[in-house]
Amino acid sequence: MESVDLSHVERRARARYEWARAKAALFGFAPVLVIVAVATVLARHPSATLLFGLGTFLLGAGLLWYGRDPKRAVLPGVAAGLVPLVLVLCTSTMHGCTGDGCMMLCVPACAAGGLIAGIAVATVGNRRRASAPFWLAASGISLLTGAMGCACVGYTGVLGLAAGYVVGLLPGVFRRTFA
Amino acid sequence: MDTREQEELGTLLARLADGDRSVFSLVFKQLWSPTHRFCKSLLKNDADASDAAQQAMEKILERASDYDPDRPAMPWALAIAAWECRTLQRRRFRRREADEQEMGEPASEGVEETIQERDLARAALTAMGELSKLDQETLFASFGDDSASATGATLRKRRERALDRLRGAFRRLYGIG
Repeated sequence: MESVDLSHVERRARARYEWARAKAALFGFAPVLVIVAVATVLARHPSATLLFGLGTFLLGAGLLWYGRDPKRAVLPGVAAGLVPLVLVLCTSTMHGCTGDGCMMLCVPACAAGGLIAGIAVATVGNRRRASAPFWLAASGISLLTGAMGCACVGYTGVLGLAAGYVVGLLPGVFRRTFA
Repeated sequence: MDTREQEELGTLLARLADGDRSVFSLVFKQLWSPTHRFCKSLLKNDADASDAAQQAMEKILERASDYDPDRPAMPWALAIAAWECRTLQRRRFRRREADEQEMGEPASEGVEETIQERDLARAALTAMGELSKLDQETLFASFGDDSASATGATLRKRRERALDRLRGAFRRLYGIG
């Protein structure tokens, strides 16, 4: 028993533990690639959508691999992010026309979707009395998921999404901080 | 390892399953000695036990993320260790068999059968450890020395349910049964 180099065995076991977690995270988050593929096909700017989609996948898989509170934030984050994504994909070809002219509904849809996503994340976070890493992870994932659709009019859409999200999230953050 | 230590190990494994790496070394230290002792008791050879225990520790910690906190930690870990010991035994036996065939001597089938029976009995006992006290007592009463007293419809039904649960535990632990 004394001849066994335990630190070496522990290092090998640690490597196996991390690798197993990484594999589980990549397989577990793989269904999001379907969402990325659909969003890329339907998007007006596929390259930007694909970039945000890959970002979503890497961040989500990384959070699942890490575990603890950030891991628990992945599902609510993706679910909240799907709201602006679906809203934008549905309205990307629509225009709102007034007397002076017409405008695309993409940016308002991004802002509205972001607002709903922010409220959703804040609600889940407050209900679970979640820690700061949960809020950060859920926000990152939902913003990246939403940004796949909001790249429809360049980065203005993404800014609209972020603005809406912050407005939706802030009341929840205040409630958590001062309650 | 007493009940309190087993509960502590269960808590630590649950934390590791959740991704809390700070307990990794602690879990490793708490598992190493019992796993090594267990492998030694199965293999009756220090060198083989060390090999099997190292392999088992890697497998246990590889599967740590799948650990179910509702299950007792030590039987779960030792079931994996038992499997590793069995794999090592089989590997050694096959190598020995190949060597004997090279030398023109027939391999003794009786030895392998004995080893397999012993492994099976140990696996069944590990699976029994997963059952409740009542189920264990029912099965011991049914198949043990006092089986003559194990009659009556109620006990028969209880025995059937206990056997079902034993089959389930065996399947969960070893993926067969």
